[in-house]
Amino acid sequence: MSNKAEKSQENIAAKPEKTEHTRSGRWTIWKKKLGKISSNLFIILMSFILIFPFLWMFASALMTQEEIASYPPSFIPEAPQWGNFLEAWMSAPFSRYIFNSFFTASAIVILHIITTALFAYAITQLEFKLRKPLFVIVMATYMLPVPVTYVPSYIVLSWVGWIDTYQGIIASNAVSVFAIFLARQSFLQVPNELVDAARVDGASHWTILWKVFFPLTKPIFITFGLINFVLMYNNYLWPLLIIRSERLYLITIGLRQFFIEQGAYGVNWPLIMAASTIVVLPLLILFFITQKWFIKGVGGTGGIKG
Amino acid sequence: MNGQSPEKGESIWDKMKSEKMTAFFFCLPALIPLSVFWIFPMVFALYLSLTNWDLMMPVYDVVGAENYIRLFQDPEFYRTLWNTLYFTVGSVLPAVLGGLVLAIIIKGKVIGKTVHQTLLFSPWVTPLVAMAIVFSWIFDPDTGLINYLLQLINLPALPWYASSDWAMPVVISVSVWRTLGWSMVFYIVALDRIPESIYEQAEIDGVNFWTRFRYITLPLVSPTTLFLSVVLTIQALRAFDQIDIITQGGPAGATRTLLYHYYQAAFERFNAGEAAAIGIIILTIAGLFALAQFLISKKYVHYQ
Repeated sequence: MSNKAEKSQENIAAKPEKTEHTRSGRWTIWKKKLGKISSNLFIILMSFILIFPFLWMFASALMTQEEIASYPPSFIPEAPQWGNFLEAWMSAPFSRYIFNSFFTASAIVILHIITTALFAYAITQLEFKLRKPLFVIVMATYMLPVPVTYVPSYIVLSWVGWIDTYQGIIASNAVSVFAIFLARQSFLQVPNELVDAARVDGASHWTILWKVFFPLTKPIFITFGLINFVLMYNNYLWPLLIIRSERLYLITIGLRQFFIEQGAYGVNWPLIMAASTIVVLPLLILFFITQKWFIKGVGGTGGIKG
Repeated sequence: MNGQSPEKGESIWDKMKSEKMTAFFFCLPALIPLSVFWIFPMVFALYLSLTNWDLMMPVYDVVGAENYIRLFQDPEFYRTLWNTLYFTVGSVLPAVLGGLVLAIIIKGKVIGKTVHQTLLFSPWVTPLVAMAIVFSWIFDPDTGLINYLLQLINLPALPWYASSDWAMPVVISVSVWRTLGWSMVFYIVALDRIPESIYEQAEIDGVNFWTRFRYITLPLVSPTTLFLSVVLTIQALRAFDQIDIITQGGPAGATRTLLYHYYQAAFERFNAGEAAAIGIIILTIAGLFALAQFLISKKYVHYQ
């Protein structure tokens, strides 16, 4: 491709361009400055647009019913109605929902760590016939549109009697192909000498995995642990299908329910926005504290070759 | 450790056997849920699509291709197919292009890079259900903010999700909002991998921005472009939350995608056979999309 670049350069190389103290030089400096300013402005604008829904949600949560319905709309609540949060919190069992979401998401992430570590160790460090095909099959499922499995998985769960249970949510999400992919990549980078040395000392594979590999590749576990926690907290459709009783509602389902109920008598936007803030805020805080893990982990999957 | 010499008192055979046993037990915890909830359901879905089961009665008939034939004769099905295509293209293209543009600008000298990166990525982290509710308030046809802003610049207010023409752009915009920063992060990683020397050389040769973009940046990030378009397409095929919250597939079926159709067939009409058939069709479409993208990429994707 550098050939192509060279070819196209020939046309442009004809233009003499010197960045010294000539008039055209000063113009280039100006152009650069202008470019810098406009790209800064553009990025600031984009960041603002993308976080605007959060700001708008928060501002709306603090307004009164009359204020929110006023036209032209007010952007900053005149007298912040902090009571809206309390009222929203009291009008549905949100603490229960949040507990359910945190509990199932944490259990799932712990299972992911165990299943991923064992599987990634087997396919990177152990010699067995099915090693390659197994990896290909597992990776292929990453490309599957999950919903195809919903109806059959629902039937499977009903066979075991796990519809409308914690076990149902947890077991059906016990493996993360994304996590296996990340862990495999970093397991491959653990130096062989370390493994050999541990083997000579008579350590079992189990010990090597948890005493050598796990500590060395911990960052990758933190990364996918956080990402999968967020994905599970945000999960909506699958739990909606298998959960019936209100005491097992995840936060997403609970919020949808609240949205529908509040909409029944003319939409009570301030309360709904307060409830949405309650749901969104824990994740935003978690994300802002741990953002580098997310961004590293997400970017890390982009480097697939071929 | 492969081909390592056997330890004292341990024959090669013993070692291999124990390694195989270890491999077996190490794979099992991942393979059991994977087979039960992924691989078996795929096969089971194919079988179900050939039946007329209603998910409740213990008896049902194998009806062969009937579910598929009925779908292919139903004009409503072609509408959902079209909606799915509309939604997929409409949400994938802006996310991929916008992600690249944002990444290029952020990579240039921008103040507060990390802050912008964090802010732009944050939509991906938040629960779509909650944010779809917020978007339905922003796009509210009567008192929503967007319509106010439109009127401010003397444009007509639009009926948004209340009209069959504008409902799709609303659900698409939620999708793009969520994935824009996400795809930007992939492009930032890809741009970081391009050696600085290539650009320096181009600068010395006086290559202008567009040529640089066309002949250096674009080819070198093409693996990322391919990866993103495949993954985002699959994500678009499974988009549900914002549709369920904002439009429920309406108005008049304008935002009913294949997945929403699947959901309604299975869990509103309890027609497992029809749902499974739609599932298989979604799977086929995902496969075709991926195949097409890989074929196109053979020509245009350059791996370093």
